[in-house]
Amino acid sequence: MRLTDRRFAVLLLLPAAAFLAVFVAWPIVRLVLNSFYDISPIAGGPRSFVGLGNYTHALKDGLFRAAAGRTLAYTLIVVTAEFVLGLAMALLFSTLGKRSAIFRTFFMYPLMIAPVVAGLLWRFLLIDNTGIVNAMLFRIGLLDSPSQVGWLSDPSIVLFSVALPDIWLTTAFMALVLFAGLQNLPPDVIEAARIDGARRWTMLSRIIVPLLRPVIAVVLIVRGIDAAKAFDIILIQTGGGPQNASQTLSLLIYRTMVRFGEPGLASAMATMYLLVMLAVAVVAVSTIWRPGAES
Amino acid sequence: MLLVVVLYAVPFLYLLVTSFKTPLETLAVPPTFFPTHWTLENFTTVWSTHGVPASFVNSLTTAVISTLISLALAVPAAYAITRFHTRAGRLFVMLALVTRMVPPVAVGIPLTSTLSALHLLDTPTGLALAHTTISLPLSIWLMSSFFEAVPGELEEAAKVDGCTRIGALWRVVLPVVSGGMAVTAIFAFLASWNEFLFALLLTSIRAQTTPLAIANFQTQFGLQWGSMTALAALYSIPVILLTLILQRHIVSGLTLGAVKG
Repeated sequence: MRLTDRRFAVLLLLPAAAFLAVFVAWPIVRLVLNSFYDISPIAGGPRSFVGLGNYTHALKDGLFRAAAGRTLAYTLIVVTAEFVLGLAMALLFSTLGKRSAIFRTFFMYPLMIAPVVAGLLWRFLLIDNTGIVNAMLFRIGLLDSPSQVGWLSDPSIVLFSVALPDIWLTTAFMALVLFAGLQNLPPDVIEAARIDGARRWTMLSRIIVPLLRPVIAVVLIVRGIDAAKAFDIILIQTGGGPQNASQTLSLLIYRTMVRFGEPGLASAMATMYLLVMLAVAVVAVSTIWRPGAES
Repeated sequence: MLLVVVLYAVPFLYLLVTSFKTPLETLAVPPTFFPTHWTLENFTTVWSTHGVPASFVNSLTTAVISTLISLALAVPAAYAITRFHTRAGRLFVMLALVTRMVPPVAVGIPLTSTLSALHLLDTPTGLALAHTTISLPLSIWLMSSFFEAVPGELEEAAKVDGCTRIGALWRVVLPVVSGGMAVTAIFAFLASWNEFLFALLLTSIRAQTTPLAIANFQTQFGLQWGSMTALAALYSIPVILLTLILQRHIVSGLTLGAVKG
């Protein structure tokens, strides 16, 4: 049998495809199947078909809806902060030109740190009475007492606080990608705008950002998806508390499964979470990214 | 700029200096920045804690296995996608990218039973397979970009010289993209080295990795900041050094996909 190009291509794709089928697609199928059952948490325990019961249960559940809202809020906080800081950093890098190389190397280091470590570290920095952040704010007079702000114990601000290590970890990623995008902008357009007397702000909002749009879209999608999946960084800081105020979907699903011992309900929640993520992904990939499309 | 540098450097610096404090001083009110007594006590404590040295071995084994599997699967797939513009290839990139959007918590639960059926639960190999679900899409994406940069004439010439198709790939194309493979390997390695959720769900005692060991210091013995910071420092410093040495390659990997698109 002659090996045509097409057959050869399929042959090369096969191992990766088989792997994804066994370790991603099949688990997803099982997840969806499980979501229709009431399952005993004990291995080999009884399971009974409940149809959409788990779904209606989850949707009526205040915890689930609150966690979904929080996941969205958390994602928006992280992505907005990272974008603003990352763009500022990228612009700073390009103003510095060649001299920015050393800074760029330096800013990369948090990217290599495990989220668990980052979460721990920030928990240590922010912890109520002995945290150094409050102690310093107190010393420079911004706080009346070192325990005035309960970063991780005040339910109204905890979602911002748990986002800090995430922002600290990955703003550098945004900055580096945006910087690389800035380097690829046509210099004559920038030059022409400058000669026409465009002011800095106009330059940024009318020229730079629109030209960078494709790059911006990609980083926002990549980081948005990652932020929506955040788990360890929050778990290690607050475990979802206080009063569930930092419990995002990943945490709720994990706890429903492991702590509350309801795999069926957890599967229904995970299925809905997955569907929303996939919907966002498919829209994003097909409209903006278009990988593999011939340029 | 200097202010930003300080803001970036201080948190980790604080973690480092804290690891040299006595356990009592880590709880001091108000907190101190530099230790009043420099001590290695925390390091000796964590290193003699049961399971900690083993967790380093587990982390390393898992990350190496996962990196190898990732490369072995991603390199041929990415080559097929970039060299032969078939519909299957395009569909495959889409699927691989969509996989990146799947929340690990959703796959983690049923993955437990898959690995259990394969008798791979609580083993580095099992965890490595799970980690590969995270790194494979990224590896395919990165490798595709590297293959695209290789001119097709190179293989044509090799084939004219009598190489088989696989021979041309193995002896001519792969050496050209070896730099790209190194970049991809770094990212696959880091994805596994720093991962927590799968490790939490799929290992218990034998295959426990260090991120879990770090987290355990807060549940088992209350909050032991000295030990936690010491272990976190031990775990992070090798990869930070690795990054600084290989920084140019890493930046190219980070920015490649996004800027090209």
